[in-house]
Amino acid sequence: MKLSTKHLLGIKDLTKEDISLFLDTAAQFKEVLQRPVKKVPSLRDITIVNLFYENSTRTRISFELAEKRLSADTINFTASGSSVSKGETLLDTVNNILSMKVDMVVMRHSATGAPHFLARHIPAAIVNAGDGINEHPTQGLLDAFSIREKIGTLNGTKVAIIGDIMHSRVAMSNMYLLTKMGAKVTVCGPPTLVPKYIEEAFGVSVNYNLQETLNWCDVANVLRIQLERQNQVLFSSLREYNLSYGISRKLLEGLKKDIVIMHPGPINRGVELDSDVADSGQSIILQQVENGVAVRMAVLYLLSNKNQ
Amino acid sequence: MKILIKQSKIIDPTSSFNGRTADILIVNGIIQSIGKSLAQKGAKVLDAKGLHVSPGWTDMFADFADPGFEYRETLASGARAAAAGGFTDVCIVPNTKPAIDQKSSVEYIRAKAAQLPVSIHPLGAVTRNAEGKELAEIYDMRQSGAIAFTDGKNAIQSSDIMVKALQYIKPFNGVLIQLPDNKDIQPHGLMNEGITSTQLGLQAKPAIAEELLITRDLKLAAYADSRLHLTGITTAASLKLVKEARQKKTDVTVSVTPAHLFFTEEDLQTYDTNLKLNPPLRTTGDRKALQKGILDGSIDCIATHHIPCDTDHKMVEFEYAQNGMIGLQTAYAVLNTVLPEVPQERWVELLSINPREILGLPVPSIEEGNTASLTVFSPQQQWELSVGAILSRSKNSAFSGKPLTGKPLGIIHNNQTNLSI
Repeated sequence: MKLSTKHLLGIKDLTKEDISLFLDTAAQFKEVLQRPVKKVPSLRDITIVNLFYENSTRTRISFELAEKRLSADTINFTASGSSVSKGETLLDTVNNILSMKVDMVVMRHSATGAPHFLARHIPAAIVNAGDGINEHPTQGLLDAFSIREKIGTLNGTKVAIIGDIMHSRVAMSNMYLLTKMGAKVTVCGPPTLVPKYIEEAFGVSVNYNLQETLNWCDVANVLRIQLERQNQVLFSSLREYNLSYGISRKLLEGLKKDIVIMHPGPINRGVELDSDVADSGQSIILQQVENGVAVRMAVLYLLSNKNQ
Repeated sequence: MKILIKQSKIIDPTSSFNGRTADILIVNGIIQSIGKSLAQKGAKVLDAKGLHVSPGWTDMFADFADPGFEYRETLASGARAAAAGGFTDVCIVPNTKPAIDQKSSVEYIRAKAAQLPVSIHPLGAVTRNAEGKELAEIYDMRQSGAIAFTDGKNAIQSSDIMVKALQYIKPFNGVLIQLPDNKDIQPHGLMNEGITSTQLGLQAKPAIAEELLITRDLKLAAYADSRLHLTGITTAASLKLVKEARQKKTDVTVSVTPAHLFFTEEDLQTYDTNLKLNPPLRTTGDRKALQKGILDGSIDCIATHHIPCDTDHKMVEFEYAQNGMIGLQTAYAVLNTVLPEVPQERWVELLSINPREILGLPVPSIEEGNTASLTVFSPQQQWELSVGAILSRSKNSAFSGKPLTGKPLGIIHNNQTNLSI
């Protein structure tokens, strides 16, 4: 099997076969990670630069760990923002990377389309680790992997995505992936946080009622409320958000069945998730983190072309 | 100087020679005679067989960035691009540094542009520094030669300023040019809000940002009983609003840009920053409505919205890229390519006759005894604009490399020829 793409810029560009290949390969790497010796020589001689223009803890650590488990040489480049007015431009960075002759670039950037820009200008394989409000494809893959692991299949599974859909690249990648793989998706949140054209754009449903949505779904993927967006008029207060869209133990107990709770992290406890939900047996939040390493190993391995 | 244009087809609805193929003899900038077969000793003869001539084209909205942003464009480079694009007259927006918001700035432009191959008409800022807060010295600028008034790329947001400006320009029957864009709604929008923006993960601005401002401005123009020109409208609903207002006798005219007749939001799939425009590219339905407006006469003229942006502001992430595209050199070719069914006479109305009427500029009809201010063009010629052939300082055109049908070959204006035949 071979991927249809040279880069992982977004789930949008992947075929169903690509997604299955990523997930199946991740399953093999997950097995590797259970062994006493967790390191494999798959990416020896491959140099990877982790280019993080935006703060990230878990995604960067997860990628670094995946790279080290695969025996790749890694370098980290962290910059705070990029624009014409603020220091080095992305194009300059591109040229610097070109001179360093790296094989792969893992990139997180606050601007939508930045990895696509990079992919047009350098020969290295690009892995998008999150671009603006567009996509976070490895998160989409690891969420799908975790759902598949827990429920057994994606096809026909009912997944609710709850919270700030408008500014969430996690939601974007999840919607692209889940709908491609035959899952049913409903997004739920206050209307100011749900894009107006989302149903037509993704073939998902919208429900503004949290309880109805939870009663419908098998899995609830709860998004992080980004506190820095508080200054925009999107909702009135965190308190009110928690009261209307936060997930509490009481709410879960009132449902007809036990649903699976997911969250991409970091959690705002007491805002979108109450602690007794986040830490409950229904939550697979820590499994998601664990699966993230295996999924990123699969992505790096497959994009490196070392499997041929 | 004597010029003899041989065998060109005259496209000029204001001329008795309209539709005729004839020779035109120009002596010292005046059309001396038009006839079947003319000869003149010592005249420079131009073989224009298969070519068309029309009264000089006039652009109502271009940014020449001079003074202040000469790395993007200068009056001289903009004029060269305009001449190559067939424009004899160009109105330039006041978004310079300093802004064209007082007599001395207007005089600077006029003095500096005096020797250039095209006539450059400064548009005076409505407000000081084109910031939308206090009225600029409009009467003084008018006296010095500001042809019309606008805050250019900055739409006037305050209703109070807008209505006062509309009233203020009445003594000289002035026209206020507004680029309709309500900046309150989604000020960080990077493209049109819709299915495409949702799929591309780009912050977006809804069409109602444009339509709300148009609704307001039409009411204000009716209240002030003044003249409003909306430049570069982009949506079907905008055009509908304008038509409805005209039925109520509101004095409003509108233009569209070639780019909005050609591209749609779906062309942004690759995050091409040359297509990052304000107002943004809209839907296929909107484009269709604008094209229909060209055919049915509801759109008055074409504005190039020629906005040069240098590489440093375009070879960046989409979010950080400046809005705008150059358009003078390709305007006619794009129009003729996208709407081949439109008769050439209609293009001449949209590019020459109507904008001049709106601005109060005389139409240089192709008649004996009139001043020769002519555009020469070929409706059939197939070509591509290579980046190397771009005469603007900035190269931000999404049309370069696209096959186009119809080419402007230059101008005869102010007793100078700028022709590539």
